[in-house]
Amino acid sequence: MTELVTLSIDGKQVTVPKGTLVVDAAKQAGIDIPVFCYHPKMEPAGMCRMCLVELGRPMIDRATGQPVLENGQPKIQWAPKLETACTNVVSDGMVVLTRSEKARAGQQEILEFLLTSHPLDCPVCDKGGECPLQNLTLDYGPGKSRFLYNEKHHAEKHVPLGELIWLDRERCIQCGRCVRFQRLVAGEPVLAFDERGRDTEIITNSEPAFDSIFSGNTTDICPVGALTTADFRFGARPWELKSAASLCAQCPVGCNITFNTRREAKSGGRVVIKRVMPRQNEEVNEIWICDKGRFAYHFTESEARLRQPLIRRNGQLQPASWEEALDLAAAKLKAAGKDALILAGGRLSNEDLFNLKKLADGLGAQSVLYTHVGGGDLVTQIGLASGTNLADLGKGDTILVAACDLYEEAPIWWLRVKQAADRGATLIVVNARATRLDKHAGYVVRYAPGDETVTLQGLLKQDKIGAAIREAGNLLVFYAADGLDLNGSTSVAAACANLLIETGHFGRPNNGLIGVWPHANDQGAWEIGFRPEADLAAALKGKTVYIAAADPAGDDPRLAKALQDAGTVIVQELFQTATASLAEVVLPAAAYTEREGTFTSGERRVQRYYPAVPRWAETKADYVITAEIGQRLGLDLEAGAPALVFNRLTAEITAFAGLSYRKLAEVRPQWPIVGRADLYYGGTTYENKQGLGVHLAAAASAGESPHLPEVRKGSGPRPQEDALLAVPVTKLYDLGVTVRSSVLLEARIGLPAITIHPLTAEKMGLKAGEKAMIGLGGHENEVLVKLDETIPAGVALVPRSMGLPVSAPAPLSVGKAK
Amino acid sequence: MRVVEPVVELARGLATTLRMIFGEKPVTVQYPEEKRPVRPRFRGRHVLKRYDNGLEKCIGCALCAAACPADAIFVEASENTDEARYSPGDRYASTYEINMLRCIFCGFCEDACPTEAIVLGDNYELSFTSRREAIYPKEMLIEPVPPGGQPTPQKTPPGVFTRSVPEMKDSQD
Amino acid sequence: MSLAEKYPEEIKRILAKYPPEHKRSALMPLLYLAQREKGYVDNHAMNEIAEMLEITPTEVAAMIGFYTLYHGEPAGKLRIQVCVDLPCALRGADKFLADLCANLGIEPGGTTADGLVTVEPVMCLAACDKAPVFQTQGPDGIAYHENMTVEKTMQLVEALRESGKEVK
Repeated sequence: MTELVTLSIDGKQVTVPKGTLVVDAAKQAGIDIPVFCYHPKMEPAGMCRMCLVELGRPMIDRATGQPVLENGQPKIQWAPKLETACTNVVSDGMVVLTRSEKARAGQQEILEFLLTSHPLDCPVCDKGGECPLQNLTLDYGPGKSRFLYNEKHHAEKHVPLGELIWLDRERCIQCGRCVRFQRLVAGEPVLAFDERGRDTEIITNSEPAFDSIFSGNTTDICPVGALTTADFRFGARPWELKSAASLCAQCPVGCNITFNTRREAKSGGRVVIKRVMPRQNEEVNEIWICDKGRFAYHFTESEARLRQPLIRRNGQLQPASWEEALDLAAAKLKAAGKDALILAGGRLSNEDLFNLKKLADGLGAQSVLYTHVGGGDLVTQIGLASGTNLADLGKGDTILVAACDLYEEAPIWWLRVKQAADRGATLIVVNARATRLDKHAGYVVRYAPGDETVTLQGLLKQDKIGAAIREAGNLLVFYAADGLDLNGSTSVAAACANLLIETGHFGRPNNGLIGVWPHANDQGAWEIGFRPEADLAAALKGKTVYIAAADPAGDDPRLAKALQDAGTVIVQELFQTATASLAEVVLPAAAYTEREGTFTSGERRVQRYYPAVPRWAETKADYVITAEIGQRLGLDLEAGAPALVFNRLTAEITAFAGLSYRKLAEVRPQWPIVGRADLYYGGTTYENKQGLGVHLAAAASAGESPHLPEVRKGSGPRPQEDALLAVPVTKLYDLGVTVRSSVLLEARIGLPAITIHPLTAEKMGLKAGEKAMIGLGGHENEVLVKLDETIPAGVALVPRSMGLPVSAPAPLSVGKAK
Repeated sequence: MRVVEPVVELARGLATTLRMIFGEKPVTVQYPEEKRPVRPRFRGRHVLKRYDNGLEKCIGCALCAAACPADAIFVEASENTDEARYSPGDRYASTYEINMLRCIFCGFCEDACPTEAIVLGDNYELSFTSRREAIYPKEMLIEPVPPGGQPTPQKTPPGVFTRSVPEMKDSQD
Repeated sequence: MSLAEKYPEEIKRILAKYPPEHKRSALMPLLYLAQREKGYVDNHAMNEIAEMLEITPTEVAAMIGFYTLYHGEPAGKLRIQVCVDLPCALRGADKFLADLCANLGIEPGGTTADGLVTVEPVMCLAACDKAPVFQTQGPDGIAYHENMTVEKTMQLVEALRESGKEVK
């Protein structure tokens, strides 16, 4: 039971837990105390002095330790000056006056000071309309200033902090929220104060500038228009934008976002997305999103998107009508029957995948998930259950991250795991190479490539690590495929699952296995019954393949060859990918921003997303296309509203039982309070009024006991004596279909590069930053060379989705560039 | 006697009529050959003003659109560079449209404008034959380049036109 | 040559003064070290120190920016830092600074054409009764020069110009 404290704020009796700050206590009681530098997600600084209030505490007689009474009431001793509400903790009997004459004068004077140097930029400032300084000046300001304005401080106005964020030094009020966010929340102190006094300014000195994937969040919490995004610069005024609740589709965290849209002349009168803002969901992403989610939405509006169905006639893909395309696709699939194969990517929604599965089942065909991370069947058994919230983890809990670069693969999970470690949780990172999580880890375990499974199996035998795992109050295990292929990650998943099952950490909240999938809805695919195919090339041979939201030909030349050797290829896609270029029928799909649906996050939480913009050209939603093909085959597939498809899904798939669109749209009050009236307090994050999502039940928590999966014996591929072993790793900013359309991220995507050990480089006569030619998978590519002394010698890290054909560890030859 | 009185009244009335017809000057303004000058502060058709050097005063801030009670104004802003400068400062209106059918000529946009760019001028002779024609784009609203000024976009030296909102000489003005 | 290569013993001694989990406390002495040769901390040194202490280059840059005795930009071999706060000004420090700069042919804050001397106005040096006073920061460290006149200062500069070393 938390100890409670009662105090009086503006005459109102307020009871809050001990340790609450006065400003938070007031907010909980519905009383607004204006703040600039304070943010509820960070430790207070007391820098801006905007929250000055009159504080009185009951006088205690030093001799007796009893309160001094006056007329039967405790005598209140008022502090001689105003005190900041953000740095003062509540105490019993405290009296706070926020609107007394003295407090009001203090608030007015602080605003008067701040406005002496703040430029008259409101008409040209992007923050206008959602600006805490504007709002608080109107509510608490003096109305007139006693200062002369001739001596306003002038500073640089349009300073780029990297390509993504602009800094306006004149508007900065030196509150330090951005500096503190980077240091305390993001753990990447790449912003700092330079100079002192009136010359204090924000600088960044990293390479590239503002080297943090959470940089966009500083523009949300900046109380003025000093930090703004280059993406939204002069886009529109906040009151001109419409909001649509949605989800980020880039990684399995499933951050809640809001798309702000507007009908524009610049885009020919179309309704377009102007920006992505975070939407509060304290259990998933709190009030943050990473830069990939914030800036990589442009693929939905790219001019390169498919506009109409295509059919191959005389060797060329030519425009066709929907009737023709669907008829042809259905005919081909009907003829193939059991020899059809449905290949789906994790970018599709639950509804799309459900219809595809029903189609596959109706045909008797295989339903294959296109992924390089295996083990999802284990996650469905012992994944996370309802009541899970990473924010609850702390001292006594253990988090294990195996074969995964969480920073690049699921940034917000990296952030929350780091925060859990800061709160005292034991973090164990098991990887063949150094990653950005190591700094925050209690234990770092390295293994030689090939020994990943054996190392994980041996963890329980180790002294401290074994104890941390066995005796953990809660145990969470994240795994992926860092340096591994599908088989490798499946093996890792099995080893991790064994750890959880053997130590009894499953079937309750905050315990279980989490697959860090490459896409937003791989978890949904696993739950619905899709399974990856270890030898996809062999599986495709001679089949009629229906591919949706996957580009195997673009990723792997061997799969391109396999598709060429396959029977018919039907592709349902957003863009004319390499795979689509091999197809006989190309069906243009609608982007997820143009329709509603649901994703299942890696934590097994089902969340809804809503349409933001109208349908592009003649595209149809993925599930509609599948349903119309299915109907031509005599199958009863739902082509109506996604809610109807979801209802069928919940009726058939046990894990989803009891869910509905209405349940997914339920909301609860969350802390901190954000929302347009409270944006000075929590930032410009949008309030979540459209749904917090619902967790799936884990099979284990339903009483079923999971069977211990068999772990593959032996080791994975090892580096050979005289050859380099290329191992695939994931990069946050890559040339994937959903990222490369964002021009702003071009510099961060960079050129394809391999990372080798400095000794290896020396042997080959290569230097960092030089160009080299590599031979991989029978293809030659030009790459940049990067050095890292923490990776094992004999290994070369090759990023996925950068145009280099790496899908599994394979031998690599390196030579100087031509 | 009774015959003369009504005739006398009639004659008096007629006299007034005849006096008006042949005597007094007519007050009818022979519009459109003659036009009565408008009063000061008359609110007519909008004009987007320029500075004397030809740069547009409008900085695309959309405060006029926000103030408009009839939602008649649509503004889209874009970035200025010294290579192609439309207005002083960083920001200018790349799209500026007023729907004359929605506009109630209240002048709130003129009051809201921080740079005195949009003003309601004297022209009241507006006609259009379709709803689309009633949407006046920026080309119709922007005033011609004053003598001595350059047309926009201009190429300007860096560091000169850095202020979007001009300095207020007299805050009461 | 990196700092670790140039001053290995001294760096070890400095780091030993602070507990290993608070390595960043060694930042200030290391910045003095980095500044010794060129009179300022260049980018390479900044990055090297950041890596050594496991902090970011931005944090190192912030420390350099905060204090007047650390410099991130190259300037003259000898930095003459003249106090211009009120008590010194009452004793003619303002005029001293203006005349000195005029004699050297530079603006306050600027460097002479031969790259030898930089004159900067700074805040109180706590030697008010001996104003005009300035502090020199150069290859041989920091020294106070009290009760100075323009002539005496120009002699100092000339001596430096000839010998290439600071003359006390």
